[in-house]
Amino acid sequence: MKANPKDVLTGIYYIDGDVASGYGALAAGCKFVAGYPITPSTEAFEAVCRRGPQVGAVFIQMEDELGSISAIVGAAWSGVKTMTITSGPGYSLMQECIGFGAMLETPFVLLNIQRGGPSTGVPTKTGQADIMQSRWGSHGDYELIALAPDSPQEMFDYTIKAFNLAEKYRCPVMIMSDECVGHMTEKVVIPEADGIEVEPRRLYTGPAEDYLPFKPEPDLVPKMAKAGDGLRLYITGLVHDERGYPVEDSAYKSKYVRRLVDKIRLNRNNIIELREEGTDDADVIVVSYGISSRVAVKGVEIAREKGIKVGTLRLVTVWPFPDDRMSELAKKARAFVVPEINYGQVVYDVARCAHGDANVVLVPHGGAGVHNPNDIADAIEMAVREEKKIEGLVEFKTRLQKSVFEGGFKLKE
Amino acid sequence: MNSIISALNKGIEAAGVDRKRISITSDIPFEPEAVRSLGVDYFQTPRGRAIAFGTGLKLGNPSLKVIPVVGDLMTLGGNHFVHGGRRNMELLVICVNNFVYKKIAGIPAPSTQATFSPYSTFEEPFNFPHLGNSCGAVYTARWTALHTKELAASVSEALHKRGLSMIEVLAPGPNYYRRIDVVESELLQFYFENSVVKNNEDPRNAAITGDDKIIVGKFTDKERPTFIDSYNVQHTKILGDKFTPHGPASEKQKVSGGKNG
Repeated sequence: MKANPKDVLTGIYYIDGDVASGYGALAAGCKFVAGYPITPSTEAFEAVCRRGPQVGAVFIQMEDELGSISAIVGAAWSGVKTMTITSGPGYSLMQECIGFGAMLETPFVLLNIQRGGPSTGVPTKTGQADIMQSRWGSHGDYELIALAPDSPQEMFDYTIKAFNLAEKYRCPVMIMSDECVGHMTEKVVIPEADGIEVEPRRLYTGPAEDYLPFKPEPDLVPKMAKAGDGLRLYITGLVHDERGYPVEDSAYKSKYVRRLVDKIRLNRNNIIELREEGTDDADVIVVSYGISSRVAVKGVEIAREKGIKVGTLRLVTVWPFPDDRMSELAKKARAFVVPEINYGQVVYDVARCAHGDANVVLVPHGGAGVHNPNDIADAIEMAVREEKKIEGLVEFKTRLQKSVFEGGFKLKE
Repeated sequence: MNSIISALNKGIEAAGVDRKRISITSDIPFEPEAVRSLGVDYFQTPRGRAIAFGTGLKLGNPSLKVIPVVGDLMTLGGNHFVHGGRRNMELLVICVNNFVYKKIAGIPAPSTQATFSPYSTFEEPFNFPHLGNSCGAVYTARWTALHTKELAASVSEALHKRGLSMIEVLAPGPNYYRRIDVVESELLQFYFENSVVKNNEDPRNAAITGDDKIIVGKFTDKERPTFIDSYNVQHTKILGDKFTPHGPASEKQKVSGGKNG
C-alpha cells in the first residue's frame, strides 16, 4: 500500500533528526501521538503537534509517560497507527506498558532519543546506554524490534519502516536514536507519496462469531481487530488463549509466550537489516550502530591508511540481533571492535555470537559526547596485533579514560 | 462485582447506546463471560492505567463510549483521573471503592484496605466525588452496590454526558472479607442501611467519616467543553480550512458553529 499524499510533506528539507522522525511518522499514516515532553526529544513531538492537526493526526500531551504509553496502546486498539516519543527517564517509566503492548500484540512505535544516563544524567547530551533496556526493559519474556538510525534522512526513512514492521509483526517497535542524531541537522529528502510503501493493519474481515484475536496466521502473527466493530473483544494482559480469555495453565503459558518470542525470532531474517562493507576479507570488523557508526567511519579510515584490512558492520536493526551473520563473520575475521556510548551492552551480544572464534574489543564511552575516532583506530590496531585469542572481552582504554581517571579505578588492598 | 455488571447492563440498556460502541477498560479483570453477556469490548490494562488507556481509545475513535472501571482509583493512576477531569475527556469512570468498614470490631471506621494491615489504617481516605468535582468532572455520583436502580440510572444518565463522569460504587472486595469472616452480603446490607440519599449535596460534605451516615446520590451535573471540543475550536481558530475537526460527524457540526469560539 502507498502512503496517503496528504500525509507526506514531499520536498527537500534541511531539518534535524527529531523533526524528520515526526514527519516520517505522519507519512507512515500515524494518526495518534501521545507524549510528555522530555529533552532531547521535544522537537519530534513539536513537529507532530504542528503538522499533525493539518493531516488529521491527533496529539495529546499526557500527564506523564505512564499515561502516554497507555494511551497509545489504547489508541492502537481503536484502529489507528500510534507513536510516543521520549528519552531516558520517560523511557524507564514506559517499560511496564511496553511489555503490556507486546503481550497484547499491539503495533506501535516508540521513538527514544537517548540521552546521557543513568537517572536524570546529562539531559542535553548523547548516550547509547538504553540499548539493552530496549531489549529487556519490561518484565517477562517477549521480543520486539529496535532500529538505530544514524542520520536525519534515516530518521525519516526508518520511522516509516518502524511503523511497517510494527503492523507486520503486531509488536512494539523502538527507534533507538540518540541526541546527536536527533539534533543533527542535515538534508532530508521526502519523496512523493507513491514512493513510500506503508503496511496497512492486518485486520480481521471474516464473520464476527469466528474471530479469535490471538489465533496465529502461518507467520505466527494473528489478525488484529479494533474496538467498536461488535466483536466483543476480551483483551487482557493476563496470559490468554486464542479467544483472549485468561488461562493459568503452565503448558499453555509456555506455548503462548513461546509464540510471542518466536514470531520475532523465526522471522528475524526478514526483519534484520545490516550495512556491511568490506567484511568478507577483513581482519578486523567494526560493529556499531546509531551515531557511533558515523564516528567509526573516521576511525576506520585512519586504520585503513595504516594498511589494516578493516570491514564495517552497522546494525540498523539492533534487535533482533543478527546471531547467524555475526557467528559466520567471527570464523573469518580476527577480531570485532565495538564502539558504543556506554560501558558495554551490545558488545556482549557480539561476544556471545563470536563463540570465542574472534577477539572482541569494546571501545567504551561514558556518554555526553561521542568517541574520539583515534580511539577507534587504535582499538582496531590493537585488535589486529593480537595474535592469540584473548580470553573474554577486552576493554580498550580510551584517551578520555586515561586522562580523566588514569586508566581506571582500582580497589585498594 | 456482579451487581456492578448488572447495573452497567441496565444502565447501557436504558441509555439506548449501541453496545458495539462501548468499550470497558479496567485494571481489575472482569469475567470473560460477564463481558460477553454485556456485548461490549473489554480491555484489561496494567494496574492504574485504565483511564489513560481509555483516553487513547476515545481519541483514536471518538465515536466510542469508553467506561474505565477502576479499583484503587486514586493510588495507581490517580493522576490520569485528575488530568482526565481537567481536560474533560469523555469517559465514564466507575470507581469501585472497596475500603473496609471494620464491622468486625463493631466500630464503623472508614479505612482503605485495612485488612492488609494488622493494626488497621490511620490515613484519611479520599472523598472521591469532591475530588472529581474539583478536577472538573461534569458528573459525579456515589451509590452502594445495593442501590441497583439508582446506580443503573446514574450509568444511563452519565453515558449521555459530554465529558468526564465519575460514579463511585461502594462494594466489598469478597476475597479479603472472606479471610476475616465477614459475609459479603451482610456488609453490602450494612453499607446500604448506613447510607442516606442526598442528591445535589455539595460534594465537599460527602466525605465518609465513619461517624455519620454515608451520603450517596448525584452530586455534580454540569456542562463544560470536552477535550475534543476544545481541540477542535483551538485548531479551527488558528488553522482554519487546513484543519478537519476531530470526532464523530454529528459533533463536527457543532464545532463549525463556533462553539465557545
